[in-house]
Amino acid sequence: MTVYVKGIVFENVDFDLPRCWSIDQYIQRGGYAALKKIVAEKIAPEAVIEEVKASGLRGRGGAGFPTGLKWTFLPKGYVGQKYLVCNTDEGEPGTFKDRDILAYNPHAVIEGMILAAWATGATVGYNYIHGEIFELYQQFEAAIEEARAAGFLGDNILGSSFSFQLHAHHGYGAYICGEESALLESIEGKKGQPRYKPPFPAVVGLYGKPTIINNTETFASIPWILRNSGQEFQALGKPNSGGTKLFSVSGHVNRPGNYEIPLGTPFAELLDMAGGMRGGKKLKAVIPGGSSAPVLPADIAMNLTMDFDAIAKAGSMLGSGAVIVMDETVCMVKALERLSYFYFEESCGQCTPCREGTGWLYRIVHRIEHGEGRPEDLELLASIGDNIAGRTICALGDAAVLPVRGMLKHFRDEFEYHIANKRCLVG
Amino acid sequence: MEKILRLIKTFLLWELLQGLAVTLRHLFAPAITVQYPEEKTPLSPRFRGLHAQMRYDDGEERCIACKLCEAVCPAMAITIESAEREDGSRRTTRYDIDLNKCIYCGFCEEACPVDAIVQTPIFEYHGEKQSDLYYTKPMLLAIGDRYRDDILRCKAADAKYR
Amino acid sequence: MLEIEIDGKKTTVAPGSTVMDAARALGVHIPHFCYHKKLSIAASCRMCLVEVEKAPKPLPACATPVTAGMVVKTHSNAAVTAQKGVMEFLLINHPLDCPICDQGGECHLQDIAVGYGAGESRYREEKRIVPNKDLGPLITTEMTRCIHCSRCVRFTEEVAGYQELGLAHRGEHSEVMPFLGKTVNSEISGNVIDLCPVGALTSKPFRYTVRAWELSRRKSIAPHDGLGSNLIVQVKNHKVMRVLPLENEAINECWLSDRDRFSYEALNSASRATKPQVKKDGQWIETDWQSALELVAGKLKDTVAAHGRDSVAALATPNSTVEELFMLRKLMAGLGVEQVETRLRAADFRLHTAGATWLGQSIAELAQSDAVLVIGSNIRKEQPLLAQRLRQSAKRGMKLSVLNPARYDLLAPLAGELIVRPDQMVEALLTVLKAACEAAGKTAPAHIDLSSIEVCDASRSIAATLTAHSAILLGNLAAHHPRYAELHAAAAALAELSGAKLGVMSEAANTVGAQLIGAETSGNLFASPKKALILLNAEVQFDCHNATEALAAVRAADFVVALNPFADGVKDYADVILPVAPFTETSGTFVNMEGRAQSFNGVVRPLGETRPAWKVLRVLGNVLGFNGFDYESSEAIRDEALAGDIAPRLSNALKAPVAVKAQAASGLVRLGEVPLYQLDALTRRAPALQATADAAEPALRANAATLAGLSLKAGDSACAAQAGGKALLCVREDTTLPDGVIHIAGSHPLTTGLGGLFAPVTVERAG
Repeated sequence: MTVYVKGIVFENVDFDLPRCWSIDQYIQRGGYAALKKIVAEKIAPEAVIEEVKASGLRGRGGAGFPTGLKWTFLPKGYVGQKYLVCNTDEGEPGTFKDRDILAYNPHAVIEGMILAAWATGATVGYNYIHGEIFELYQQFEAAIEEARAAGFLGDNILGSSFSFQLHAHHGYGAYICGEESALLESIEGKKGQPRYKPPFPAVVGLYGKPTIINNTETFASIPWILRNSGQEFQALGKPNSGGTKLFSVSGHVNRPGNYEIPLGTPFAELLDMAGGMRGGKKLKAVIPGGSSAPVLPADIAMNLTMDFDAIAKAGSMLGSGAVIVMDETVCMVKALERLSYFYFEESCGQCTPCREGTGWLYRIVHRIEHGEGRPEDLELLASIGDNIAGRTICALGDAAVLPVRGMLKHFRDEFEYHIANKRCLVG
Repeated sequence: MEKILRLIKTFLLWELLQGLAVTLRHLFAPAITVQYPEEKTPLSPRFRGLHAQMRYDDGEERCIACKLCEAVCPAMAITIESAEREDGSRRTTRYDIDLNKCIYCGFCEEACPVDAIVQTPIFEYHGEKQSDLYYTKPMLLAIGDRYRDDILRCKAADAKYR
Repeated sequence: MLEIEIDGKKTTVAPGSTVMDAARALGVHIPHFCYHKKLSIAASCRMCLVEVEKAPKPLPACATPVTAGMVVKTHSNAAVTAQKGVMEFLLINHPLDCPICDQGGECHLQDIAVGYGAGESRYREEKRIVPNKDLGPLITTEMTRCIHCSRCVRFTEEVAGYQELGLAHRGEHSEVMPFLGKTVNSEISGNVIDLCPVGALTSKPFRYTVRAWELSRRKSIAPHDGLGSNLIVQVKNHKVMRVLPLENEAINECWLSDRDRFSYEALNSASRATKPQVKKDGQWIETDWQSALELVAGKLKDTVAAHGRDSVAALATPNSTVEELFMLRKLMAGLGVEQVETRLRAADFRLHTAGATWLGQSIAELAQSDAVLVIGSNIRKEQPLLAQRLRQSAKRGMKLSVLNPARYDLLAPLAGELIVRPDQMVEALLTVLKAACEAAGKTAPAHIDLSSIEVCDASRSIAATLTAHSAILLGNLAAHHPRYAELHAAAAALAELSGAKLGVMSEAANTVGAQLIGAETSGNLFASPKKALILLNAEVQFDCHNATEALAAVRAADFVVALNPFADGVKDYADVILPVAPFTETSGTFVNMEGRAQSFNGVVRPLGETRPAWKVLRVLGNVLGFNGFDYESSEAIRDEALAGDIAPRLSNALKAPVAVKAQAASGLVRLGEVPLYQLDALTRRAPALQATADAAEPALRANAATLAGLSLKAGDSACAAQAGGKALLCVREDTTLPDGVIHIAGSHPLTTGLGGLFAPVTVERAG
């Protein structure tokens, strides 16, 4: 695995060191300094939130919601239990950044959560880790124990009156549990099914209490912001896309892996870092933000800078930062078939459009791929997509439709060829 | 003038000759009367005669006791009772058509979702008592079995107009 | 209040209301499947998507809270497009088997598909098939038809109190199923049939018999428990085909217990008597009404003349109608006989109240109580829908406590619990009373002796819940208790002290009505031998407190006339059987536990030569030559029987004090519950109900310690003996029972050889 760093989450991390995740290594890198400072100086929670707001940090899980703003959504003047939840249910195909954060720098997440707890007044936190990385779940438990032993976690942190309990919780590998309200249901021991919103988790969350949910990378960015300053973080990236971001580059590149780079870096540069196209093949298409982001053809991708606004303008989204690179040998019908199968299998089955529609989408694409396409199929795909998108309880419906729309927009000819000739245009 | 003309026609038996001309014409025209029952006129495959209950090729009765024919029948000639058969399928325990009431409108056939009740081209049936025209399920099935080929031929011939 | 505009109509609704609530108030219909007014919001079917101005996408009306100035369009282009899109998704995997589907003709999906479905499907892939599930003898499944609205799942969890169904698996593979190897056993499970918007869950006894459009809907009243649920009885060709709830928010809401829903099967049972029968030389001979009535009239007259009026008595079940009981009483009065009794399962007749004992308030008021103490009631089995109401109240914060001879699971949060031997229930109640006295610094009435009572923490905490806005309820186990008068007196004192309302949950549909017309006059009729007996609807071996004693008494009588819809139950001991109409074949009136008189009409004509009992009794009066037996209609009888306002004649207050004194427990004591589906003649003959888990054969149940003391273990067979009789039963361990309690259900053919329901019992290993 390649981890190329020009950013803050993995700043100074020596990946080759056997225990680079441990607390002493983390402290050596300047870890827990922000926490010590804030606890010692009794910095007001409002000031912490202001600093996070100033950093321009946007959620790293996919939706890109401003983190500081989210923290202010907790009911004002609420007295009682509040929860903090870290979402490490990294299920989006192509994404593997949170796994590496937990592998190499878990204390950044722990410190980030403690700082967030200070800012929001939450006293109990959970880190929901997906079941496929069980070793990292165990390692995270060990890291929690380290932090507790060092007095950073538990009752009366660093001798103050501030207390925060953090628990690791592992799921069983359902994609839907990465959806924040389904994740809460799962922590509560129920079937992972999204809740209807409103009310949002900030008002009615875990066990019915106000809850803040953020992505692992988001929490891991907090200590750096508070150790340095919001301004500095913002300056690393671009306006409206502050800071650096981890990109999980996969597909037909020479060095797939995680790359932490400033937001706004050109895609071409990122591709170079990843060693360029494998076997010297031609770039065909890029999915820039995880499997649910619409695909972009090579010409658009090569002129793209990797930040929220530029990618949105190009008709896709930054999402979780999973960059899937496809070369000229890829059949886009087969690619979509695989993507649609994923959403069909991962739909929770709760609401009608997603339960019935994802299967329908998959079956049509499957037919086209297997030479049984019909001329009306492409119109039908678009129409089914319109009937799913925006009509479901959670965003999985939209996530299933966006790849279909992207493929039909940019590679319609390949689908038409498949239907007409019952075989692939490529290969 | 008119009066005179009519007078002449009357005396010359003009109308009588006209009538004889018709008779003469028909005397040499080909006869259209058929010698029923030895001879029969052709019948449209769409003819709606005696009812029959049909079976699938494997001998299973088609009727599933949905009672749509009973519901649609304008003469209320159909009486159905249903129950779950031992194999769990929905079947009639009674299927009667009172042909005294039936107006042969064909709605029952049209309503049937499984082509179980059909009207055959058979119109030569009678009853000496009123109760003879009360057809029960075994009778209707027997008609279907006996005239199966004729019925299927008629239905096939009419299928493209449906 | 918030202002909202729906389809151009303006209204104001309370904050927190949803768009669906507002639309319903306005009479605007929004298509929906998963939404149900009595269940939580799932917002999963997406059929109720509507256009909301300023919202970027269509929103589900059922889950969208109203905001001030909201403008909603339910039939705009955008809304209808969204609804049609959802409809298409619902239909793609729904089988086209409407012709064989029992829901056909009354199916939400069918109805809404007419408005929102396309004529032809665009779905040309393979349809989904889902294996069926075994949900028990009442509900049949066709799971391929399921549209995953989760109403049934939410019902079992939220209303029935115990989740027996769940949505297992994910996505397209998700399916509604019971827990592995389990069936749906709730006593109100049949409601999922009504809730299911498609034909996935349908009634098993009703399966494939008739189509919805063939049935006439007739109103009626449930004849079983004291709630008086309102019914829609559906009939075809003068045969009752099924029973559905008639919505009445004050009584049964929109629910129906399984007992009320499925007992109709007994109406068409082969054991119905269709002609009067007379026993001659041990042989039953069918006869005509005239000679049968003349025989009965002559025998009754002769018996009174020869042996005096105390030699004749009448027994009627408390689910006989007001009219029947009134006519029975009047007939007996004509003969000079006073002994008419409906408290057949009671053992203690010392209690005299100022009026008919009743719930003490309306059912709706009871549900609003701050706290409720239930004394002696397996309430889920006795009053299934009242238990459901109390469960909802308890979930909202009502403090529910129980004083019971077994730890019955109410499937509701409990504030307090006292579980004692049946013969210590009075003593346990006295501890609560003493705790309340101590807390209030008052003393108990003089007729209650609290001297030897020791207060425990449990009784203290129960006493603490009782406030002015609470209720104390006495159930069937109290009413059948040998010291019922003491229980009632102690409960009345506790109510007096705390300000709580005392209530009695009546056992049967007309228990209150029977008291109002004085059809409970004599106490234990079997105390002195009788020469002639009239049994109205009663099968004494099942309907009496002490089956052995009752059977001995009817066998000893010279002449027994049974007015009963069924012949088989009374054939052993009757001399004449007069077939009388069950509730569906006669008009009548039941007075429910809240004192509400509900009249109903016959819904089908009487079977064979069956006649309504009130008519039979009237003609019997005519034959005997009595005056005042000229009633033309049941309404005329009712107006005379219930003349005036009922409310002032209801009272749980004691007319005379009953001495209450603690007694010591000793030996083994029987807990003789009447099982859910043995309550009355109809339920005992309903095949589907008899196949449920609740109708399992009675066993000899005791806790491990008690069994060990008897050197018995689960699975053994044992012989239980009470004064006068024995029963051979299988032994089961039951952890809900206190020490020294032997649970042997009553009112069952296996246990008719035993004595009193709460009497001492001896047990020994058999064979």
